Amino acid sequence: MTGIEIALASFPVLLALIFLRIPIGLAMLLTGIGGIYLITGSFLMISGQLRNLTWGTFSGYSLSIIPLFLLMGQFATLGGMSQALFKAAETWLGHRKGGVAMAAVGACAGFGAICGSSLATAATMGQVALPELRRYGYSGELATGTLAAGGTLGILIPPSVILVIYAILTEQNIAKLFVAAFIPGILAAIGYIITIAIYVRLKPKSAGSRERATYAERFRSLAAVWPVLIVFLVVVGGIYGGIFTPTEAAAIGAFGTGLIALVNGGLTFKSLGQSFLATAGSTAMIFLIVLGAGVFNSFLALSQLPQTAAAFVTAQGFNPWLVMVSVLLLYLVFGCVMDSLSMILLTVPIFFPIMSALDFGLNPEEFALWFGIIVLIVVEVGLITPPVGMNLFVINSMAKETPLQATYRGVLPFVMSDLMRVAILTLFPSITLLGVRLLY
Amino acid sequence: QEVTLRLHQFLPAQANVPAHVLIPWAEKVGTDSGGRIKVEVYSAMELGGKPPELIDQAVNGVVDIVWTLPGYTPGRFPRTEAFELPFTMTNAEATSKAYWDLFESDMKDQDFKGIKILGTWVHGPGVIHAKGDGIRKLEDMQGKKLRGPTRVINALLAEMGSEPIGMPVPAIPEALSKGVIDGTVIPWEVTPSLKIAELVTTHTEFSGDRALYTAAFVLAMNQARYDSLPDDLKKVIDDNSGKAFSASAGRNMQEYDAPGRKIAVDSGNTMIELDQAEVDRWKAAAEPVLTNWYAEMDAKGIDGKALYAKAQDLIAKYSN
Amino acid sequence: MIDRLDAGMRKLSAAMAVLGGLALAAVILSTVVSVTGRGLIPIGLKPIRGDFELVELGTGFAVFAFLGWCQINRQHAAVEILTMRMSAGANRFIDLVADVMMLGAALLITVRHGQGMLDKMSYGETTFILQYPIWWAYAAGLAGAVVFVLVCMHCVLLSLHALVTGKARESGGAVQ
Ligand code: NA
Ligand code: NA
Repeated sequence: MTGIEIALASFPVLLALIFLRIPIGLAMLLTGIGGIYLITGSFLMISGQLRNLTWGTFSGYSLSIIPLFLLMGQFATLGGMSQALFKAAETWLGHRKGGVAMAAVGACAGFGAICGSSLATAATMGQVALPELRRYGYSGELATGTLAAGGTLGILIPPSVILVIYAILTEQNIAKLFVAAFIPGILAAIGYIITIAIYVRLKPKSAGSRERATYAERFRSLAAVWPVLIVFLVVVGGIYGGIFTPTEAAAIGAFGTGLIALVNGGLTFKSLGQSFLATAGSTAMIFLIVLGAGVFNSFLALSQLPQTAAAFVTAQGFNPWLVMVSVLLLYLVFGCVMDSLSMILLTVPIFFPIMSALDFGLNPEEFALWFGIIVLIVVEVGLITPPVGMNLFVINSMAKETPLQATYRGVLPFVMSDLMRVAILTLFPSITLLGVRLLY
Repeated sequence: QEVTLRLHQFLPAQANVPAHVLIPWAEKVGTDSGGRIKVEVYSAMELGGKPPELIDQAVNGVVDIVWTLPGYTPGRFPRTEAFELPFTMTNAEATSKAYWDLFESDMKDQDFKGIKILGTWVHGPGVIHAKGDGIRKLEDMQGKKLRGPTRVINALLAEMGSEPIGMPVPAIPEALSKGVIDGTVIPWEVTPSLKIAELVTTHTEFSGDRALYTAAFVLAMNQARYDSLPDDLKKVIDDNSGKAFSASAGRNMQEYDAPGRKIAVDSGNTMIELDQAEVDRWKAAAEPVLTNWYAEMDAKGIDGKALYAKAQDLIAKYSN
Repeated sequence: MIDRLDAGMRKLSAAMAVLGGLALAAVILSTVVSVTGRGLIPIGLKPIRGDFELVELGTGFAVFAFLGWCQINRQHAAVEILTMRMSAGANRFIDLVADVMMLGAALLITVRHGQGMLDKMSYGETTFILQYPIWWAYAAGLAGAVVFVLVCMHCVLLSLHALVTGKARESGGAVQ
């Protein structure tokens, strides 16, 4: 068997394990180990790698933002802050049909502007908004679907960890990429709100109702969010004003929310321990998947399947747009089983040189920005496409009473909205490039 | 072909060293072996792990060959630091030759025991890239947050009153743009890929024949894998490794300093060259770094002073 | 007997997870102090030297420490769409297989990580800036990994018990 055949054979094996309820991180780890064994003919590679890979993965600086933001969400909840924030959003939006879910999307977008990670956004806003959505009678399906999709705004709205990695891989300007990501990010939030509006029209029972708040209540709700605003401004100001890295912002955000919880009396030894335990479960779940994905991706790289697939696509002499569509489809397919960071790391070095050789009527820099944003969006779609969608797992792990397949169903309308946005941005590069053209 | 060797390295395939040193090397080994060896180059850590894990990947047979920096694993290859000490290197070609000689005489059976080293080289002169008014004299280093490249240069930065901030190379652009660091110390060759010229306003170079610093690289192979090759294929590897290869890799890397520098000049950044009198002050300020290094080597049972003198003699010999 | 064992394992994994949480808290505090110091360099304060390394050390330890708690509460992401239509017996069998696989992975990860620690010890590797020996960090992670292995063994025992007796038996839950 060639490496490519082994890789192709591994997908049904991986899917079979996953659908037999084997934990996904474990399934990826084991499939990866098996695949590497079949390709190299020994366990030398994998056993050598595991001497350092686990520590290296678990101690990664950029990933450390995940437990920090999870803990921040816990503290924010203990301090009553996240409720205050969300309440403010829902007194303004909540009375509309599906309005509480819309408020959750708005809150995700706001949080996305201070956070570079989808998982952290999903986790934090999930902590805040899930209980409220359930309280107002939103179905588990719609609630978890909304928050899983809303979480992707963490990456789609700059700053964004994935964009930084793309910028490094393709030697592009990070600031310009952030500017280019802005309009598509706002479009994503608008698209999700429209999706909710349509969803509740088609399935009226999936959203409960909430009374219209008076304007007095609305302004009073704003007065209750001042601690949130302070933390928010310190974190936003710190990142954009050039004081912190995103990880530091996460630590400072957690510190600030912890302090406020302490002052509000929400933080006791007992509740501190409970917030550690809640953070522990989600963190370990995510990192096991990151570890498994790391091994599985080593195996895919070794099999040379991605490289060969890319070479095949370009060797056919197709027209550039057809190639673009094929590449995006490939990303979507891979996104069903892979996580976004690994996907970017694995594929961009292969696809970028190939794609930039094709003519889309853009100069090289504009092409790089446009392609980067489109790829960003399709890998983010991967975070919410079943069966392997990290945001789905994060949100679902918080919604104890909602089965994962309900989350799968709930997120599909949002995936459709994403696909429409991908189509629009692909057809009209100038939407993405507008900000950069105006500012630079 | 009979033998597939997997070469793993941390930069994207289109970066200078992979594109102009490693991939050509892989192709040449293939050609010289009459197609019996195929070296597959895996870039940007695509086989997994982080750059500091590369050397272990070669040692443990995860892959067959790695390109890495001994400095990624401080304390493990102490003798290589002789070339990284401040104001030691002259040019990459001469220093790489000296590095190979010292490797053969002092590191092969010590630091690198059990690892088959194919090449040893260094990059071109290190430069300080900073925001704001930049570094014009020693005192300007005071309180600056600088990303340091190696353990000894971090020590140097601290000695000069700066705050050395540790972070991986890919994190530099974001840290610069966000003001987490005021500047970074790296050679010109890497600046285009990190967009350094756009992110800083000044570049400080050092006059005289010694550069502020360099960093040491190795191309390392799993020893058992090498031993398992038939003699004629071992010879192909041998013919493509050693001093001549190391020298050309170093020279090659330094050649890509010029285009990086040109980008900075063209973008209107301020180029600062410290004159000899100022450089002498820096050298004096760097003395404690040497003294400390000798003491650290002593603690490891290494005669650091003698080793460093030997390195300097070799560099002088090849620089003339 | 099994209930007392279960209570003990829950305590052990919870204690480990809380230790991990305290490490995260330390990461948060050191980062806040460091960022404050960095911002106030002009008035003579300083960042904590090697703050990035402290973050990595703390997070690495924390994630290892969290593994056991995640496992004992069955919080690992899994797809239930097919198995929910299968019989209880089949599900108990799958539980056992999944737990045995997780135990195998946990053992593999732990043993290899332990060997990595011995490597780092013999190489004398240190971190860049703080220059503490890397094997300390590995050793901290190993503590969590060992608890993870113990919890995985316990989970195999629980699912074996459930399969044999035909009664659902989950950690922390009473026998039904
Ligand atoms: Na963001
Ligand atoms: Na997915």
